[in-house]
Amino acid sequence: MERHARPVTAATVPAGSPFAVQKFAGYGVAAVAAVLVLYPAFFLLQAALDVGDPQTRPPTAYGLDNFSGLFQFPQILLNTLTVSLAATVMALVFGFVMAWILARTNVPGRRTFEQLMAVPYYLTPLLGALAWSLLGSPESGFINQVWRELGGQSYLININTPYGIAWVMALFEGSVAFVMIAAVMKSMDPSLEEASQIMGASRVRTMLRITLPLVVPGVLGAAIFVFAEMLGSFAVALVLGLPNRYYVVTTAIYQLVQQYPPKIQVAAAMGVSLFAVMFVMLFLYRRVVMGGSYVTITGKAFRPRVADVGPLRYILLGVCVLYLFAAVVMPLATLLYASVQKIAVAFPAAENLTLDNFRTAMSMNAVRSALGNSLLLGFCTATIGVVLMGLLAWLIYRSRLPGSGLIEYIVMFPQAVPRLVFAFGMMWAWVVFPIPVYGTLWLLLIAYLTVFLPLGVRTIAGVMLQIDKSLDECAQMCGAAWAFRMRTVTVPLLMPGLIAAWLLLFIASIRELGASILLMGPHSKVITPSIVESWFGTSSELTATLALIQTLVVAIAMVVLVALTRRVAAQPVD
Amino acid sequence: MAQLINRNLTRRRLLQAGTAITVVPFLGIAAPGILAQGQTKSPAKVLDFLTNADVAKAEQEGQLVFYCHENEAGTAGIMEGFSKDFPKIKTSYVRAQTGALYNKILSERSAGRFDVDVIQLSDLAPAVDFQKKGGYEFYVSPESPAYKADHLSTPNGSFFWTGVDPAGIAYNTDKIAAGDAPKGWQDIVNPRWKDSISCKIVASGLQFVQWYTLRKIYGAGFWKEFAKLNPHAFDSRVQLFDRLAKGDDMITAIGEYPAYILFKGKGAKVAFVAPTDGLVATPLVVGAVNKAPHPETSKLFVDWAMSKRGQAWYQSNPNLYYGSVRTDAPPMPTGVRLADLKLLYPADWDDYAANREVFAKEWNGMLGL
Repeated sequence: MERHARPVTAATVPAGSPFAVQKFAGYGVAAVAAVLVLYPAFFLLQAALDVGDPQTRPPTAYGLDNFSGLFQFPQILLNTLTVSLAATVMALVFGFVMAWILARTNVPGRRTFEQLMAVPYYLTPLLGALAWSLLGSPESGFINQVWRELGGQSYLININTPYGIAWVMALFEGSVAFVMIAAVMKSMDPSLEEASQIMGASRVRTMLRITLPLVVPGVLGAAIFVFAEMLGSFAVALVLGLPNRYYVVTTAIYQLVQQYPPKIQVAAAMGVSLFAVMFVMLFLYRRVVMGGSYVTITGKAFRPRVADVGPLRYILLGVCVLYLFAAVVMPLATLLYASVQKIAVAFPAAENLTLDNFRTAMSMNAVRSALGNSLLLGFCTATIGVVLMGLLAWLIYRSRLPGSGLIEYIVMFPQAVPRLVFAFGMMWAWVVFPIPVYGTLWLLLIAYLTVFLPLGVRTIAGVMLQIDKSLDECAQMCGAAWAFRMRTVTVPLLMPGLIAAWLLLFIASIRELGASILLMGPHSKVITPSIVESWFGTSSELTATLALIQTLVVAIAMVVLVALTRRVAAQPVD
Repeated sequence: MAQLINRNLTRRRLLQAGTAITVVPFLGIAAPGILAQGQTKSPAKVLDFLTNADVAKAEQEGQLVFYCHENEAGTAGIMEGFSKDFPKIKTSYVRAQTGALYNKILSERSAGRFDVDVIQLSDLAPAVDFQKKGGYEFYVSPESPAYKADHLSTPNGSFFWTGVDPAGIAYNTDKIAAGDAPKGWQDIVNPRWKDSISCKIVASGLQFVQWYTLRKIYGAGFWKEFAKLNPHAFDSRVQLFDRLAKGDDMITAIGEYPAYILFKGKGAKVAFVAPTDGLVATPLVVGAVNKAPHPETSKLFVDWAMSKRGQAWYQSNPNLYYGSVRTDAPPMPTGVRLADLKLLYPADWDDYAANREVFAKEWNGMLGL
């Protein structure tokens, strides 16, 4: 696909006031983002500083006791860092390698694999954790049962360890890194790599010296995003950590807010403290991004090309197959097998087989309406989100409006605080809001647009940073107004990033758990929390069934959407 | 005129007037209850139970919003039972652990939002707190006489015990031979169970009851011994039995009888032990919430839940299997009546509530939180 901006000539451009529309749009979108983030953040901060009666709102006394109390949990903080770092490293390795293979080499079936790479992400970490729990629990795990049957002792793998948790998190969160890095790689001018090879550099050297530095913003953005995602990851640590009494911050927060009386103030303090960590990381990211030039899309037209890696492509194909086997095929097959059993065991027995789980699942009205709500919310969040977050990315990275740096910090806030905690801020904020959105799907839409601001902005920004400002400046010199330049230059060049962001937001909304579990009302149920509830209260077999049904429905929706977006992307933009 | 006065002002009339003057202040004290009752006529019979609710109005309201601590399937089950009897009333619910649910409803009410009609909690302490905060609608159900005073709020009219969740010890029969199985509560601290015994998390009302009652019987050192076994803690009874059935744990220290029935029915190799000291038990309490958006429906639900019909549903639904405290309750699906079981409740509910923080600190500490 050749991407280039529409030809702009003095005759075709509508002239306009140079900064009026730009300012209006910039500050307008900044105001929306600020309200979405700062309004609930105020309530969250208030809770973190609340040292009065935990059940009385507004607070009756303020202090820092909740923060000093955090040092009672050094093991939990250490566990969180261990798991998050291990998972981030694994996810980035998976993401980078897979992005390079699928975006830059001629591995067979790469288009199909590229589509399949999104599958682990929409399978949800919860589904992955459930499946790997069935596979790798030391006693009842299918792999270990087979291992003992073959004469092995004890167990072959133990998924209930920190690295087991990190492995599953990386497999199912790693797709984000892939999508973010791949979007950048696709937007790269291959002539740079070709030049390197012409100069005699090997493929590996070219990858390390040319490709890698050029994708630094994408990789760094992905690293920060994935690390934050891992810090806030809940479902995997819950399913795999709890059996081994291994708590991370989110599962500890969950336990603290579930008990009576709930220790929300301590949980809020934990959440706010995580923001300090993310603030430092964001600062470093900005230093790196602003310090170098990563422009690869310039006025010169190019066609993204892939490198011929010769016979190596079959080894790379094996890597792809292996990854997808661990992240897609094996988990789905395991859940399917568990879903047709009364009690999930490795070896089938006729008296243990049943279809009751499917019958029960299909009769659950709450789940059926929850699926519909999730799809609707996914569509709305993605569509509104792409516009909002695209404008925010432009505001932060391209506009010269004062205060744009501050907006980035505001936008990153929801990513830095576990959603489970941020949801309390949103609940307190929107429950007192004069417009009655509380308890409705509108609240979930607002919540999703808030918590996914960092995801959308990061994804779009990764591509935006590669577009040479001179293209926009050139159109400006021709007299094009801001809105016209956006429509004819910036947006067409950003299209791969926008499509990636749309799909990511759609999937992220459907699989969202932390905020939804608290904010969904009796008439606004969504699917992932319903599956978690099932895991808590029904059985792993019925939960597996529900997760499979969710996967099937989302898969159908994804096929339709990918077909549509592919058609949009395939159309010449001029 | 004087004659008239003398004729009317007899000794009897003076006594009647005096009695009336004396009674008025007491009427004032009891006003809410009496008013609540006084507004209704004599209870009407609906299906096979009595209610003070106006059923036609309730059907006109057409909605019931239920907040419940029970798991998704159990909550949906309760709603299903009510909907079967009143199909014109649409039901919806929010479920969460008692702590989170209680916090949610308090936050909503402090913001002036009153979206819920009926609430069910698994712990008496927050229910009493909610009553003190004036959260419950004062409504004395005509089905109340079928309950002992111990199983109703004080005063009657705020909430009632819709069921009891009793727990003993359960174990995997593949992992433990019957001869080696625990017999009493003291056996759960046997070092043999190290790293292979389970319990519930601090959010569980039943776990609090078990901690409190066994601590009273065996002393504070009992749970310290238990902590040495590195127990695995989970949210729900189903998770405990799921692990037990698959052999991930050999034994659970808090095997709830309803979950045992459920898993036994699935063919799981699990056995239940009723310790001689008795089964620890927690009440599950239901009450109509004041300022409910659907007031007649909330009353109707309370009456239905208290009725023999509602209690039979609670007792026989596989996702509930609550033991009924109704004096004329039918037996549970296993043929056992709750009244036949020796149950261990806290003797002093105030002392129990006062020990909440001690329990939370000890239990969280034991689990590494």
